[in-house]
Amino acid sequence: MKDLMSSLESNTTGLHYGNRVLLPFKVHILKAIIENDIITDFSLTKHNAHYNITDEFTEIYFHDYKDIKENMSKYETVKLIVVEKGNDIFDLSNHLKISLHFEEHHKLEIEKIDGDILFIE
Amino acid sequence: MKKIYFLLFVFCILSVSAGLTTAEEPAVTVSTVIETSQDGSHDLPEPLMVLPFVALLIAIATGPIFYHHFWEKNYPAIAMALGSVTIIYYLVVLGDTHSLMHTLAEYLSFIALLASLFIASGGILIKIDRKATPMLNAGILLFGAVIANIIGTTGASMLLIRPFMKINKDRIKPYQIVFFIFIVSNIGGALTPIGDPPLFLGFLRGVEFFWFISNIWYIWLPTILVVTAIFYIIDSRNADDEAESNYSGKIEFQGLKNVGYLLIILISVFIDPGIMSWVPSLAPLPIGIREIIMFSVCYLSYKGADDKILRANEFDFEPIKEVAYLFIGIFATMIPALQLIGHEAKALGDQINAGDFYWATGILSGFLDNAPTYLNFLSAELGKFGMDVNSKADVLSFELAHPLYLQAISVAAVFFGAMTYIGNGPNFMVKSISERAGVKMPSFFAYMVKYSIPILIPIFTLVWLIFYYGKG
Repeated sequence: MKDLMSSLESNTTGLHYGNRVLLPFKVHILKAIIENDIITDFSLTKHNAHYNITDEFTEIYFHDYKDIKENMSKYETVKLIVVEKGNDIFDLSNHLKISLHFEEHHKLEIEKIDGDILFIE
Repeated sequence: MKKIYFLLFVFCILSVSAGLTTAEEPAVTVSTVIETSQDGSHDLPEPLMVLPFVALLIAIATGPIFYHHFWEKNYPAIAMALGSVTIIYYLVVLGDTHSLMHTLAEYLSFIALLASLFIASGGILIKIDRKATPMLNAGILLFGAVIANIIGTTGASMLLIRPFMKINKDRIKPYQIVFFIFIVSNIGGALTPIGDPPLFLGFLRGVEFFWFISNIWYIWLPTILVVTAIFYIIDSRNADDEAESNYSGKIEFQGLKNVGYLLIILISVFIDPGIMSWVPSLAPLPIGIREIIMFSVCYLSYKGADDKILRANEFDFEPIKEVAYLFIGIFATMIPALQLIGHEAKALGDQINAGDFYWATGILSGFLDNAPTYLNFLSAELGKFGMDVNSKADVLSFELAHPLYLQAISVAAVFFGAMTYIGNGPNFMVKSISERAGVKMPSFFAYMVKYSIPILIPIFTLVWLIFYYGKG
């Protein structure tokens, strides 16, 4: 499995099924924005969303959505602030902003957010 | 699903109203609808009929806080269900199709302008590569206040909110967005009829185009400067812990084609049979050439926009959809409230002075849409002096003989739109864009309690004391 940066550089895609998103790398998620929802609480006591890091991938469940793709318009994305597993989460320079584009056939395009896209940590 | 609700709702109003319009009632167009709306030929609604409006306001205020996801999924249905209660009451109990058609025409005018400005400005990208400072931020807000009078508060808000947030990305706080709403999305647009919809309705009624700037600038300028100064003081205390970066100082502008579309929208504002006699009326449709041009601009500016710009702006129809759905409910449910207020204002005309009109227009503009509120109080003011709002000659005479009264409601309608998220169309859009960018905005109540009441009410009280207290 590739690491986060090489996945982004090689445009490796993830997957999406309904409210489940699979990222092809291992990351901690600090913040997610989906539509007007700003999610920072991924604890199991809350029902917004939670994520698991497996040996093969990172999976996120957005519990308030049945099918995320249905809620996404053409230019709309889900935005995440992530830190690669193993990196120092307290070092802000390790925080990376990525956006998820929900494509057809369950394909998930993952992009590093450039300066043009507005995403406040 | 939301689209189906919306289309069904509009279709029902159109078809039922068209079917019930009798030979005795004149055919309606956007301008004739406005001309004949206050004829008083229909019974007043029962005071209880303000309940759907109150329920909608409560839902808008509490939904995003207490039942967020239910509200997000169901607000179109809730807004339209409550709107339908009022519509059915007017159709079945009062037999008043006229008020409904008038409201529909105003709603279509309102949403055509907002949607076209929103979509056209979504195809424009402004990049400012400068370090955010309180002075630069204040400068952007002042610039926004000025251009709001040229491209409307909606156009200015949509054009500037993203660059404003981008340059502040490392020090952004909700207060910055709130002040943006105060200054650019509301108070700024008080100088021309293009600035804010209520003034445009006044212009359609016969108030001269330049009357507003020549009679309001000396209230507008100190108000804008005071609000900006408060922003500057607060912003100066917002420490910038950003690591030193290199800034080129460059300002980049992309999407020139859409600037052309913005110009078309501005010109189309004047394309109305009430202003230009050669413009054909589309009676009995509650829509005119102006709205057709604006809706065409929506389509063309979106289809022709640069894909990269739309992607960079993360262009999404949801903010304008949210405004469209909520305001169709607001426009429908507020008909009884406005009619009752208009009736009371006329009945009590002798006892009401300019200061009372200022507060009444202002407070109601904060919670109702400010355009119809303004029109009702304009009608009440003219009624107080034995004049008719349907006569352009009367409006012109009123403007010359009683400028204080006209000024009071014009200032109040625009300024107080900043009091709540629902006071003016762009407020909601700016909130939505900010949340999608990751800024946690204050709730409906927190916006009022933390910001608009403590900051704006003292300033608006000062305006009242200086300009209207004991006058008129």
